[in-house]
Amino acid sequence: MNPADINPRQVANKSDKQRLLDAIRMTLAVQSPAVRHNTQTFNRNRYAATSRLADYNQLKDRARKIKENAIANLPQLLQQLEVSLKANGGHFYLAKTAADADNYIRDVLVRHQATLVVKGKSITSEETKLNHALEAAGITVAETDLAEFILQVADEQPSHIIAPALHYSRERITALFKRKFATDLPLDTGEELTVFAREKLRQKFIAADAGISGANLIAADSGSLMLVESEGNIRMTMILPPLHIAIAGIEKVVPSRADFGTFIELLPRSGTGQPLTSYVSILHPPLKATPFAAPGKQTKPREFHLVLIDNGRSRMREDPVLQEALYCIRCSACMNCCANFETVGGHAFGGETYSGGIGGSWEAGTGTLLNARFSELCTGCSRCVTQCPVRIDIPWLNANLRQRMNLEEPATPAKSLFGRMTGSAEEDRVAPLQKQFFANYDVMAARAARSASLANAVNRLSVVRDLMESAVGLDRRRKVPEFPAKTWTQLYREEHAAHATQTGQARALMFADVFTNYGSPERGMAAIHVLRQVGVEAELSQSLADGRAAISQGMIATARKQAVAACQLLLPYIHQGTTICVLEPSVLAMFRYDYAHLLDAETWAKFAVGNFVEPMQLLWSVAKAQGLDLSQLFPAARSPQGISIFYHSHCQQRTCDTAWQTIEVLRACGFDVVTSSVECCGMAGSFGYKREYYELSMAVGEDLFAQVRAAEQNGPRTLVATGTSCHEQLWAGMGREVLHPAELLLRTTSR
Amino acid sequence: MQPAVAQSSLIEEFTLAATQAVATVSFSDRSSQALCAALLQAVGGATSILFAPPHELPVELFSQFVADPRVRSNPTPEEMVASDAGVTEAFAGVASTGSVCIDISFERTGMVSLMAPLHVAVVAAETIEPQPRDLFRTDVLGGAGLERDFVFVTGPSATADMGPLVRGVHGPHKLHIIVLR
Repeated sequence: MNPADINPRQVANKSDKQRLLDAIRMTLAVQSPAVRHNTQTFNRNRYAATSRLADYNQLKDRARKIKENAIANLPQLLQQLEVSLKANGGHFYLAKTAADADNYIRDVLVRHQATLVVKGKSITSEETKLNHALEAAGITVAETDLAEFILQVADEQPSHIIAPALHYSRERITALFKRKFATDLPLDTGEELTVFAREKLRQKFIAADAGISGANLIAADSGSLMLVESEGNIRMTMILPPLHIAIAGIEKVVPSRADFGTFIELLPRSGTGQPLTSYVSILHPPLKATPFAAPGKQTKPREFHLVLIDNGRSRMREDPVLQEALYCIRCSACMNCCANFETVGGHAFGGETYSGGIGGSWEAGTGTLLNARFSELCTGCSRCVTQCPVRIDIPWLNANLRQRMNLEEPATPAKSLFGRMTGSAEEDRVAPLQKQFFANYDVMAARAARSASLANAVNRLSVVRDLMESAVGLDRRRKVPEFPAKTWTQLYREEHAAHATQTGQARALMFADVFTNYGSPERGMAAIHVLRQVGVEAELSQSLADGRAAISQGMIATARKQAVAACQLLLPYIHQGTTICVLEPSVLAMFRYDYAHLLDAETWAKFAVGNFVEPMQLLWSVAKAQGLDLSQLFPAARSPQGISIFYHSHCQQRTCDTAWQTIEVLRACGFDVVTSSVECCGMAGSFGYKREYYELSMAVGEDLFAQVRAAEQNGPRTLVATGTSCHEQLWAGMGREVLHPAELLLRTTSR
Repeated sequence: MQPAVAQSSLIEEFTLAATQAVATVSFSDRSSQALCAALLQAVGGATSILFAPPHELPVELFSQFVADPRVRSNPTPEEMVASDAGVTEAFAGVASTGSVCIDISFERTGMVSLMAPLHVAVVAAETIEPQPRDLFRTDVLGGAGLERDFVFVTGPSATADMGPLVRGVHGPHKLHIIVLR
């Protein structure tokens, strides 16, 4: 089927993986330019807006605390809210299921003989499929948010939580309206389209019998609502008709109106990146002012109903992992900073209602586990972790969803045997071969490295690539990393025999991650050598899996096993206060953050005090502390590559806040550095190697490649990157050598 | 009330932020004549002007303005949907965002501030608070504050749903703020 002919609704439910793959093809063919433009605009604006907020981090801590307490005390808060609302004269209904909510709302509307309802944007009402229920009862529902209006006309599900139609370009909206409304009006600008929709909808506002809105937050102390918008349609929905029904999930309840003060600073900035959107309404419904009465109609008294839906949320609350998703304030930051989401949007990276990194937990929580299949598109790059205003560890939630989905897979003798051979933990041996293959890269690499030249020769065989593609889904268009003749640890041992440690030198332990050990030992040695230039003698550890590969496949038991082993290796050094140097940023992030989930609390407390650094970060801090002149030690002018470079930092490196040190070091040496601004290169560990995601991975990479080309308009630049996967991706996109910063520096010292 | 110097820098910040949010700002003295002149300048050639009488500012401040025959203090539904401008007071301003806060608990204030293509809000300089969160301080939320229906208005209504950013959607296309010195 031509990807452009795939209807988004048909592939909304992705419990069948083929629909996920079809949705990716469709969005890449049709929606990608608009999604990219809109999400990346939100993303830039959010960085700018939050950087101007002096106490951004304290606000996030406070928001997190409020939500933690609110979810912990939810049953009491719901009782308090009911009392507050009824005291105001409002009605309160707690719906157990989506159908309960729809039925209640329908009954209220029928009782009021309402035939026309205006509706503000409510993703929760998409979850309950409210419009269908009302239309079945003969009630006309007018979606008044322009994005929801587009979706209603197109009959599509939202693709984004705050801008549900951001997958539509202006040109596609024009074509849609011309087709559906059969109009000759000029609709070739945003203004013309807006006027067209506004005039249709203004008539509906005037004539509406009732208004239905969502709610961003609800305060138990007073029954207050907070609603955030820019168009003014939500205000009209709430102010004009005599009957107002607000529908929201139970997780929107916070203790008090005073709590709104924290979220009003965070929500708009984290969403559109505006200090405030045009309108933020703070209501204490039912409103005291008289509703609008259309010319010739009688004024009716106001009536307000708050419909809170559970629909799986109480179950999420009891779930130690999914509970976190209830803290979500639906700002969309996790979508806008996600490279995969920026490329395909929520019609591929999303389900029937919810999308993006956090969307999998919501689809699983309010629907079934397999509805969260699309969360496979979370590569665990971690960019969202620092962008979430309530500090939800979204990649961890997705790793857990993946584990649960693995456990639903049937056990087979082949998977079990493969798992035993490669070191999967027993409970992970039901995982598909592909996942076990990527999770246990260390074991296979260790075997292959013993006869590297043979392994490389075998890997190059066409028949072997066929087998790799069919058995484990390794895309044959990707270069399989060549196994080096000698591993990092071998090179180090040989050199170490010759090189005696000088006394008085600072010591550090360099962790021999498996990616560098078996894939690029020359980078590892370069890091050891440049550190030596600033007086740091690093000892190389034995090579051990750190758990990153396993966690990315949802093989948490395997990851835990590996984490415990790595922890045993490192704890004595940590105990002595030795700095632990980690070359690969994804491994650094494991030690700094992810081990909190994998080690028991007592061990984690001992482990977490470790000083985990990236080699270039260590070099930067030593140079700074000792006042070293880096332009003397590593003069860029001596670089055989010239002084012009393009540097791409790794996604996890930026989350760990260790990218800027590398950039400062390079500039201090005299390099002319242009940096990338993409969130992730698109390779993301094993993700880009997988046959089914190759096209998506390369489409994500295109942003990075375009930035390289733009930077090279006035002449070529040496490509420099820190992460192993970034090297592979840049190599694939640009077809030339990529250096690690340490290699670049080392080349300036060769005489 | 804030010390005078601090308040004057808040007004500067407010004016800058409101302008960045694409509102326009002018200043007026606290006399019926001065305010009337500022309001009439703001509404330009409007032929029908909705007016929601103030509850915080002195009513007399608007006495000359309401004498203008185009002003509708008690509009019919027909006038409500067909007017060119709406004038309301704002009970507070926010410096960091350039917002005005409109109390919509009162009759018609919500509609007057929403339904016409131009909204003119009159705010007293001393009610400008530093940040949105200040409207949720315990001293503000005491008593009736907890039950107030209000809206932070920041610039005109806007959308990016139709492709490019468009100002003027369901709500006002223009926002003008008059700061009472």
